[in-house]
Amino acid sequence: MENKKGIHTKVIAIISAVFTIFWLFPYLYLISSSFKPGSEVVSIPAKFFPKILSVENFIDLFERLPVLQYIGNSLFATLCSTVIAVVLGALAAYAIQRSGAKLAILLIVLVLCLKMIPTSSIAVPIYELITGMGLYDKKIGLIVVYAAINMPFVMWTMLGFYEGIPSTLDEAAYVDGASSLRTFISIILPICKPGIATASIFTLFLAWNDFLMSLLLTSTNAKTFTVGLSEFLSAYSMDLGPMCAGALIFSLPVIVLSLFAQRYIVQGMTAGAVKG
Amino acid sequence: MRLISKRTLIAFFLPGALFMGVFLIYPIFKMAYDSLFVFDLTGVGEFVGFDNFIKAFTDESFLQPLKNTLMYIGIAVSVELVFGTIFALIFESNYKGSKVVRSLMMTPLMIAPLVAGLIWKLMLSAQFGIINQLLVNIGILENTSSILWLADERWALLSCCLADIWLTTPYMMLMILAGLQGLDGSMLEAARVDGANILQQVFSIKMPNIKPVLLTALSVRIIDAARTFDIVWAMTQGGPNGSSELLSTVIYKTLTRYNKVGYASAMAIIFIIVLVVFTLVIMQSLWNPKKKNA
Repeated sequence: MENKKGIHTKVIAIISAVFTIFWLFPYLYLISSSFKPGSEVVSIPAKFFPKILSVENFIDLFERLPVLQYIGNSLFATLCSTVIAVVLGALAAYAIQRSGAKLAILLIVLVLCLKMIPTSSIAVPIYELITGMGLYDKKIGLIVVYAAINMPFVMWTMLGFYEGIPSTLDEAAYVDGASSLRTFISIILPICKPGIATASIFTLFLAWNDFLMSLLLTSTNAKTFTVGLSEFLSAYSMDLGPMCAGALIFSLPVIVLSLFAQRYIVQGMTAGAVKG
Repeated sequence: MRLISKRTLIAFFLPGALFMGVFLIYPIFKMAYDSLFVFDLTGVGEFVGFDNFIKAFTDESFLQPLKNTLMYIGIAVSVELVFGTIFALIFESNYKGSKVVRSLMMTPLMIAPLVAGLIWKLMLSAQFGIINQLLVNIGILENTSSILWLADERWALLSCCLADIWLTTPYMMLMILAGLQGLDGSMLEAARVDGANILQQVFSIKMPNIKPVLLTALSVRIIDAARTFDIVWAMTQGGPNGSSELLSTVIYKTLTRYNKVGYASAMAIIFIIVLVVFTLVIMQSLWNPKKKNA
């Protein structure tokens, strides 16, 4: 019986590994293409492995795009908007959850609906707003929009966490003379650390990977890397090498981060769906 | 029960509310307002009431993207569901390195949809795309130009679905896996003792019991699939001939390229209303049972 289970597990392990490699094929292809000499990327016939390894594409990438500037913009916009979204979202969600008012239920439903809005549909009114405010092609403009778009998700995540904290905890702190803000920062937040982590990571991903908003709201100053990458789309085949290199550089940090933050990602995605 | 003063509550709530109000709620109201007008080239609007909405429901320019979006959702979500379930069942067992394998499977989720679109566009290109090359090598295709994935009306939408499926099947897998792991082991044990084979175990015991998780995952995926933009934009931009045009892309195009603000606003409002109604209906059925238990 022991052996049967052992073999059974081994077979499953092998099948899983095969499936995984099969599934990751597109990404592996990207990695392989990035290290091909430029002319080989779009060879006819197409091949998977490079004949020779080369970093031509990376060099070309840096020549064609101000890579560091774009990545810097992406990073700056991502980090700032995440901080704003998480701080304001956590506070607002706390206010809603602890208010106990009937209005709260309405607001919660509203937050849910806001989460569902397709960004591409409100993109143009937002563009008009931002230009009207004089924030076009400014990093601040992008930051503010990212923060607003991702706030509903932060609120939704934190709402769930606050629900699990009995208000007796708030009471106890209050009786001890702590102000509401103090209670929030010193008592509630530490307990909600996983929630904050989850909300932060998702907001980071969403802002980093965003394309449309940046396309609309930035030009030369505040352009992010996704828009830079998209410029290779209409290009000739010679530019596909640098495009692959760029896509690789762009996606790698996110993947590495995700491998470390697995727990929070899983939590964020399954929150509320699974009991216990 | 009010521990916090009303003033503090409002102080906590207001900054966030302000952000969302300005950038999320205001655009919707503006579009709702704009949808009642038709704008000419100089930006002057003429009030037309619900004409734009009537046009949407009767004109191909809206109906085709609508059909495409529904097909897109149907294909992508069902395939993701099947694959996700299969993968979840396979990855369920714990063995040395299973965590690593699972983490690796999750990586497509982290990739920007735009990048996924770029990768698949490269792979599905007719002449230098590796997919066609592989198909030729295996013998399924005659030559690499037999199927023009992105340039053929019949395949364009499917090609976008492929990228979407690749990108988000891990999500389905994750949700179903979480559901399976939350299952009570004793049920399965009892079934095994009773002699149930694998298929029976899966379909009669595991599946019915993860229904809430499945429903949540499905509803989230359906809404996200409906909102797809980056992938289609990267791969086909809605072409050729509108065969891969989704609601999200057509609304965007109508606004930015054709400048039909009123019409695009009407389409956007319809789109948003449908999504919101769908969400509310799903939430109702998922939440009410939960509330009753509390």
